[in-house]
Amino acid sequence: MVEVIKPGLFTTIQDKGRTGYRRVGVPVSGAMDAISAAMANKLLDNSTQAAIMEFTMMGPRLLFKKPTVIAISGAGFHAKINNVPIELDKATEVSENDILKIDHPDFGNYGYLAVLGGFDTQEVLESRSYYNNITEKQQLVKGQVLNFSNVSSEVFKRNASFSIDSTHFSDDTIEVFPGPEFNLLPKKNQQKIVASTLKVRTQSNRMAYVMEGMEAFSAKEIITAPVQPGTVQLTPSGKCVVLMRDAQTTGGYARILQLTEQAICKLAQKRAGDTVQIRLKSYNDN
Amino acid sequence: MKQPAIKSFGEKAVLIEWEPSINDNMLTMVLQVKQLVLKTFAREVIETVPTYSSLAIFIKKGVKQDDFIKQLTQKLKNIPKTKPAILRVLHIPVCYDPKFALDIEEVAQTNNITVPKVIELHTTPQYKVYFLGFLPGFPYLGGLDKRLQTPRKKTPREKIEAGSVAIGGSQTGVYTTSSPGGWNIIGKSPLNFFSIEKKPPALLKAGDFIKFIPISKDEYRKIEVEVIVDIYKFGEEAANG
Repeated sequence: MVEVIKPGLFTTIQDKGRTGYRRVGVPVSGAMDAISAAMANKLLDNSTQAAIMEFTMMGPRLLFKKPTVIAISGAGFHAKINNVPIELDKATEVSENDILKIDHPDFGNYGYLAVLGGFDTQEVLESRSYYNNITEKQQLVKGQVLNFSNVSSEVFKRNASFSIDSTHFSDDTIEVFPGPEFNLLPKKNQQKIVASTLKVRTQSNRMAYVMEGMEAFSAKEIITAPVQPGTVQLTPSGKCVVLMRDAQTTGGYARILQLTEQAICKLAQKRAGDTVQIRLKSYNDN
Repeated sequence: MKQPAIKSFGEKAVLIEWEPSINDNMLTMVLQVKQLVLKTFAREVIETVPTYSSLAIFIKKGVKQDDFIKQLTQKLKNIPKTKPAILRVLHIPVCYDPKFALDIEEVAQTNNITVPKVIELHTTPQYKVYFLGFLPGFPYLGGLDKRLQTPRKKTPREKIEAGSVAIGGSQTGVYTTSSPGGWNIIGKSPLNFFSIEKKPPALLKAGDFIKFIPISKDEYRKIEVEVIVDIYKFGEEAANG
C-alpha cells in the first residue's frame, strides 16, 4: 500500500487504456506518453498491462506502507526517497515507511512511476485508467491509499537500467499522416500546413493540446464523425487542436492530420510555449 | 447509394466514408456494414465507431493495414441485405417542471410559442438514435421539430447534471453524465443513461428509437427511486411506418 501525502499538480493512474467502449462514447485514455510508461514497467519486468502512476510538472509525495521495487521514467523529474536523490530509469528498492518525493522535471512534461506488479486500483470497463465519471476518482487526492500487487520484492533481482533515446524529449519533429479532410483543403494551404511550426498553448491537457500557428488557415465544420488520440482538428476560425488520450470519440471539426503513435508520445512531453515542427508521412511509407 | 471510400486513419484505424449526410437510409447502411465488419473480421478488429455517414474501424496490433483494406474493399463490393429488425420505441420519462427546465422559457420565447407548446412539440416525435458520442452514452438524436431549434447558450454552464434534456441548435439530447455544456435545458429524466455496472454500460445504442414522455415532479421522484433499486419497467411502443 502507498498513501498519497501530496497529490501533485495532476496525478492519475493509467494503463494501456480502455478499448472496446468507444462505440458508447467512452474515451480510450491511457498514459499520455505510452512509450515512457512502458519503459517504467519494463524496468520492473511488469506486464505491459500493469497500471502506473502518471504525473505532470509537479509530482506527488508518497508514503510506502509496504516494501516494493519502483521505477520512474519519462520527463526529467527530481525524485528523492527520504530526501536522498534516486536515479530515474532504474529499478529502486523501497522499504516500509519510506517517503518518495517527486518534484519538478528539468525537461519534458509527464513522468511515470511503476511499482512491482503494478497498481491494483479500481478496474472499470476493463481498465484502471482514470477518467471523469468512469472511475471513482479523476485524479489522486491527499490521504488516498493505493494498493499494489503483492509481488514479493525478493523475487526481483535484476538490476536493469535503461532509458529511452534522449531525442524523444529533445527532438521537435512530429510525424503526421494526412487526416480524412486533408484533401479538402486548398492545395496551396496543404503545402503550408505540412511545413508549419506549432506552439503548445497553456490550455493543453490530457484531452487535447491547443496549438498556435494555423491562424492563417481554416476549414469548414464537418458532420460529426469519428476522432481518436492524435487527430489534428482545424476550426473555421483557425484554431488548431491535437486530440490526446482523453479525447472524445466523435467530433465535428475538420480532421486535417493524424499524428503517429510515436508523435503523440513526443508531443505529450512538450510544455506550454514549446514548438514542434510537422513532418508529413505518407501511408505508403509504412 | 454510392460505394464508400475506404481510407487509412493513422496507423491503427481504417475509415469507411459515405457521402456526408444525415438520414435513416444512411444510418441503416452504416450499421449494416458495422455488423458485417465485426462478423467477418472478428480476429482483426478491436472495435468500431459508427457516426452519421462514416464508420471507424480500430484494428489490432500485428494486422497489416494494407492487407486489411484490400480484404475490406473486397468484402464491401457485395453488402448482403439484412432483414430489418422489429423496431420498438423506448419511452424516456422527462419532467419539464421549471425546477429542472432552466431554459424552457428561453426556448419558448426564441421560437415565439408557449411553454406547453414546447413540451407538446418535444414529446411528439419518435427520435432516432444515430450514434453515441460526446459523453459516455450520449445519444445523437435525429428528429427535432424545427419549431424548437434554439441556438446554444453564449456562455456554457460549468456543470449540467446527468439526465438533463436539452436543445442545442437543431439537435436535442440527454446529458448522460454530468458535464459542462452549452445546450438549453428543457427538462430532466430520472433514468440512468450510463452505468459502469450495467452490460452494456449505455442505456441506448445506435439504431434505437426513443420518445420523450412528460411526467410530473412526483412521478419523477417515484421513478428515481425505482431506478435506484432497479425495478423500473420501461414503457415502449411500436415504431411508426
